[in-house]
Amino acid sequence: MALLRMMGRPVIAGLLALLLAACASGPQFSQMQGSLPALSADNGRIFVYRSTVLGAAIQPSVKINGDVVGSAVPRGFFYVDRPPGDYEITTITEVTRTLSLHLEAGQTRYVRLGISIGFFVGHVYPELLDGAAGAAEIQELHYIGK
Amino acid sequence: MRPAGRPSSTRYDWPEPASSNRWTLRYLALGIALVLGACAFDVIQVRQVPAPLEAISSPAPEWTLSQDANVRLREGFAALLKAGTTWRAIGHIPQGDVFRTSDQIVTVEASNVYEAALVLNADVVVGFYLMVEHTFTAADPPVQIKRAIRSP
Repeated sequence: MALLRMMGRPVIAGLLALLLAACASGPQFSQMQGSLPALSADNGRIFVYRSTVLGAAIQPSVKINGDVVGSAVPRGFFYVDRPPGDYEITTITEVTRTLSLHLEAGQTRYVRLGISIGFFVGHVYPELLDGAAGAAEIQELHYIGK
Repeated sequence: MRPAGRPSSTRYDWPEPASSNRWTLRYLALGIALVLGACAFDVIQVRQVPAPLEAISSPAPEWTLSQDANVRLREGFAALLKAGTTWRAIGHIPQGDVFRTSDQIVTVEASNVYEAALVLNADVVVGFYLMVEHTFTAADPPVQIKRAIRSP
């Protein structure tokens, strides 16, 4: 039993280290908010973020209208500016999950990446949040954009 | 001489499954069935029909929803429509008038999530207009709402 306890500590420490390594590590939104480029009048902005560390090992790419724009990194966020129009935001794990939304000029949308139980791996799915909820949730998340 | 009833070889005979083993197998089968059943959610699609939108060019009339409205769909589910939200007409489809709000997110969800607008026929929610797909999905059943007109 004592041996198990001794072995358990490094294992737990290793798992914690892996978990932390899997999370985003860039500057927090609250720290860089003032330095974000202003949104041009003819574009809209889509913030994409993942607020939980559940299923941290599962980090699928995030696509907007078929183009990879980022990854679903736990505790991370990124944003894209796009002209007004219709957009499909997609994540692929063992299933494909899509959110379709309409973006208007000057508008900011918040897309949260949730996780649900899957058969072999968890499913990461995009969901649309209202501005107040999205802006509040993103404050402590870390920038993972380019 | 071997005692009566004892098998000739205990080394190679396949043992009869014990009762507890049979139950374990049954629970395992039930667990797999439940997991596979849960996966069925991944193939639920919102039933849609094409719905060309005739947009409104003149100033749109607005109204406020007087009480919460929970609109059910045949497949998937829709966001709860919250009391106090203000809606403006954006156009018309064959099923009714189409309204949007900036006071809450309106989505229709099944395996995927679709941003949606409300479709009314008089004071009855008959379904939702899917903004990107340009389709209509019907409420099941249609829901009567109470609203206060704010502007003509």
